[in-house]
Amino acid sequence: MDLLDFFTRSREAQRALQQARARLYRVAYAWCHNTALADDLVQETLSKALKHSAQLRDPKARDAWLFTILANCFRDHFRKTREMDDIDEIEISDETTPETESSRGEIVGMVRSAIARLPKGQRQVVTLVDLEGFSYVEVSQVLDVPIGTVMSRLCRARAAMKNILLPEFQQSMAASNPSTLRRIK
Amino acid sequence: MQKENGFSREFLNAFVDNQLAPEEKSRAYNEIGRDEDLNRQVCELRKLHDLVQLAYRDVPAPPARPAAPVLRRNHVGVAAAVLVLAVGIVLGTQLRMPVTVHEQVADQAPVAIVPVVATADRVAPPRAVAAARSPRPTVRPAPAAVAVVPDLPITTAPRSINEIHIGNVRNKVLIHIANDDPARLSQAMDEIAGLMRHYRDIRASAHVEVVINGRGLELVRVDTSAHAAEIARLLNDYDNLTFAACQNTIDRLKNEQGITVRLLPGVVVTDSGMAEITRRQHQGWTYLQV
Repeated sequence: MDLLDFFTRSREAQRALQQARARLYRVAYAWCHNTALADDLVQETLSKALKHSAQLRDPKARDAWLFTILANCFRDHFRKTREMDDIDEIEISDETTPETESSRGEIVGMVRSAIARLPKGQRQVVTLVDLEGFSYVEVSQVLDVPIGTVMSRLCRARAAMKNILLPEFQQSMAASNPSTLRRIK
Repeated sequence: MQKENGFSREFLNAFVDNQLAPEEKSRAYNEIGRDEDLNRQVCELRKLHDLVQLAYRDVPAPPARPAAPVLRRNHVGVAAAVLVLAVGIVLGTQLRMPVTVHEQVADQAPVAIVPVVATADRVAPPRAVAAARSPRPTVRPAPAAVAVVPDLPITTAPRSINEIHIGNVRNKVLIHIANDDPARLSQAMDEIAGLMRHYRDIRASAHVEVVINGRGLELVRVDTSAHAAEIARLLNDYDNLTFAACQNTIDRLKNEQGITVRLLPGVVVTDSGMAEITRRQHQGWTYLQV
């Protein structure tokens, strides 16, 4: 019976990893905006997760554990590719984003472009909170930074996005009819 | 740390991300209700949150990968031997074990994995459980209209407001209900029925959305609504009418009072009633508060 349990647990773990794949890929893509790189990062993450699956004591912590591995893979990738002064402060220019100029008029393109322009640390925090719904404490663990840093990065990221995005939306809003206020007594 | 209206920006972000303790959240709600500028900032933050989710809802598929490498020749024999041994052990163990009815059913279950985990909290429990979890301070007789409810489906999670398609209509009206005063609710229902009838009579292109949050949620809860039959009739008669309940209120009732909310059939949910109202006002909808 123990052997059967072992096989069942192993199968469950593999299924859980498979189900997490799409979510990992979405976040990896939001970090790098490159489908091939995102896929490589996810592949490496899952490979490491399988290899070190014994380290995961609490299955409830699987999500945070997987995203921690992803964050490490992402950091290692940039370490390998080039030397940096402070990767958190580097801002990716518009030219390097995958969003083409033609898609700028679309909301999705505009938002992705705005996120791509954020410094890497801010981009990671805002996507982990908004896409995956992680708490600040979990993000702090995933990225291995203090919770105060998580809060300040999130604050700066949203302020920057607001400056980029909201003026464009307000223009389109101004074109629409003004809203009317009434009250039923 | 920059402070605006007594709250830092970090605090407002934490409020939007539901990271505050209940007492802090309560204080924030009070301030936001009083301060229009603060309210606007919260709405902007919620809008940014929604935009990020929208932007990555569908991401481009990864490029095709070459097929996974097969086992090398010198490993094939070992793998086959291990496989045969494992199958033998498993079969031997299984044949000696009685098979339970549960396992038989599990074997016959479809292979597809349904992502029910995310909505598990939002799936309505059986009526008896909901009633047991919903202690009310005062006992009042159930209205006659509630008697209609037992035949309604109880295992389907409510749809999201995002699934409702509203075309390019001329008259867009948002009615906000956050009050549980029976007299006001009755009047509001009369107003809604009258408005819908009016638009139909004059054949106007219109959509009316009723956003319910706070205490108003009683209107659309299976166990408390005094207007269940009327809402069902209106939803049946008018395709251009939506009742949207605030998910934040539903979550708060569960977290703070242990009440698992069951919504009337046809009532949809919106992540945040307040954000929905702001969104609609920005889109030029006429706002009516009950």
